[in-house]
Formats: sequence, structure tokens, C-alpha cells
Amino acid sequence: MSKPEFVYTTYIETSAEKLWQALTDGDFTERYWFGHRVTSDWKAGSSYRFARQGAPSIEGKVLVVDPPRRLAYSWDSCSPEARRERTSRVTFDLEPRGKVVKLTVTHDELDERGATLRSISGGWPMVLASLKSLLETGHALDIDPPSAAQNEAARA
Amino acid sequence: MRKPEFVYVTYIETTPEKLWQALTSSEFSRRYWFNTELQSDFKVGSPFALVMNGTTTDVGEIVEADPPRRLSYTFHHVLNEQARKEPPTKVVFNLERHGNLVKLTLIHENFAEGSKLLDGISKGWPAILSGLKSLLESGTALAIPIAALGIEGME
Repeated sequence: MSKPEFVYTTYIETSAEKLWQALTDGDFTERYWFGHRVTSDWKAGSSYRFARQGAPSIEGKVLVVDPPRRLAYSWDSCSPEARRERTSRVTFDLEPRGKVVKLTVTHDELDERGATLRSISGGWPMVLASLKSLLETGHALDIDPPSAAQNEAARA
Repeated sequence: MRKPEFVYVTYIETTPEKLWQALTSSEFSRRYWFNTELQSDFKVGSPFALVMNGTTTDVGEIVEADPPRRLSYTFHHVLNEQARKEPPTKVVFNLERHGNLVKLTLIHENFAEGSKLLDGISKGWPAILSGLKSLLESGTALAIPIAALGIEGME
């Protein structure tokens, strides 16, 4: 039985360089990623962290940095319910295709039926839809994070 | 054991009514679906066909039509030699308001184990739905080269 992984592909009218910046620049991520700013020097082995209004949400180590083609980092959610889960991994592959960039996000090394798998399966489509809108139209989507609704569903 | 399926979720800044129109009108589909026409009156039980650049690629029947919430049709590929031997599958679109957006969930299900068609549609849907989102939000569809999808026989 294969380990669960989440793979999502989207096509964005932008350049690989702009998309790379959007993935690694806190001013950008704050706009499309539910207000979460990322900080890192983006060197392999360095740490990175997402934080919302100063409160850490996700942290880990930068694993692969090959601008503007591939970025990978380890992923530890700072939420109490996901704290005890294993460290997962996110890989972004950016492939220019004519005037658009094919972006593939692979989130693997996840715990089966864990809080992280549940949360990221709902979260990535929102974050990536908003990222695409921001790069194509200049404004991100007005969208709420999935956590509240999902926590309710988990309790039901 | 659950049969293999493909699920894709995206959020589009539009209304369910406009999204429904885009999913059921050739005027729209030609622009985001690689010049594909949707041939159907979208009534339950009516025939359905996808016609790409004048060639029929897939046929089926409308299973559900509940505008602007839920659309479903059976889907039988007729072009590729190998994929045409596979049993018909089913496509379901769910449209849900999400604040000032629409959450679109596509479920393509009932694939046979080891389906060749599943591989093709898994590459095709993200491109089609990315183009659909761009068209509804910016007024321009994406110029995705079809070869970029990496589907065998579609280079």
C-alpha cells in the first residue's frame, strides 16, 4: 500500500521567475496564503517559517532550491493536533510551457488519516487557486482558511 | 475497494450561473477546452459528445442536470484505440457558493484498474479547469500548448 500523497497541478499565465518569487517572498505569500508570511534565506539546509500576525503556523528546512524550477521543503505544522505527526515534505515543480507555467505541488511523506493530510487536502486547492488569481489578475481570492470548517467536520 | 477516480477542486471568482454556462456552452468551451465543442441539450437522458477540432473524442449521456449546482454525464472515449475499449466512466461537477467565489469540485469516477483513460484525463482536467478559471476571472483563456499535457497521442 502506497503512502498517502497529495498532488495538485495548475497552469498559470506568468513567468517561472515571477512564480518563484510568489512562492518564496513573504509579501507575496501573505496575499494569497491566508495572510501567512514566509521567511527564509532559501538556501538548502536553512530553516523557513510561515507565520500569521507573528504566530508561527508551518516550519521546516529547505531541502531543494533550484530557481526557478524546483523548490522543496520539509513541513511541520505548528497546530496542536498535527504536532505529533511525522514531518512531511512539499515539492514545487515549475515548468514553462509557452506563455504559461505548469505548477505541480507534491505533498508527501504524510501520516495516513492524520490532521495534516486532512488540512492540506482542503488547503492546497484554495492557496493555489488564490495564487493563480493573484498572478493573473493582480488580486488574490477573498477566501477563508479551511481549518475552522474542517475542525467542525472532524468533531461531528 | 474503491474504484480509481480523479478529483480536482478549484475556486473561481464568478457566480454559479456563469460557471454553469461555461460548463455547458460551446462558445465558452472552445476557448478553455482546447477548441472542444460540447454537443448536448443538457437534459437528463440526452446524448452528450465532445468534439475537438471537428473530431468526436468522447460520447455519453446526461445523468444529472441541476443548474447551477450539479451536472453529471457518462463519458466514453472513442478516439484512442486502447482507451475506447474501456467501460464508460462518469463525470460529476459540483458547484457551491463559497463567499464571493464558487468552489468547483470535479469527480471523474468508475475507472477500471490500470485504465489508460485515467492517465489521460488526470493530465487533461487540470489544464482545462485552469483555463476555465482564467477565462472566467480575466476574460482570457490560457494558451496552453496541448503537447504540454504529455498525453500520448495528443502531441
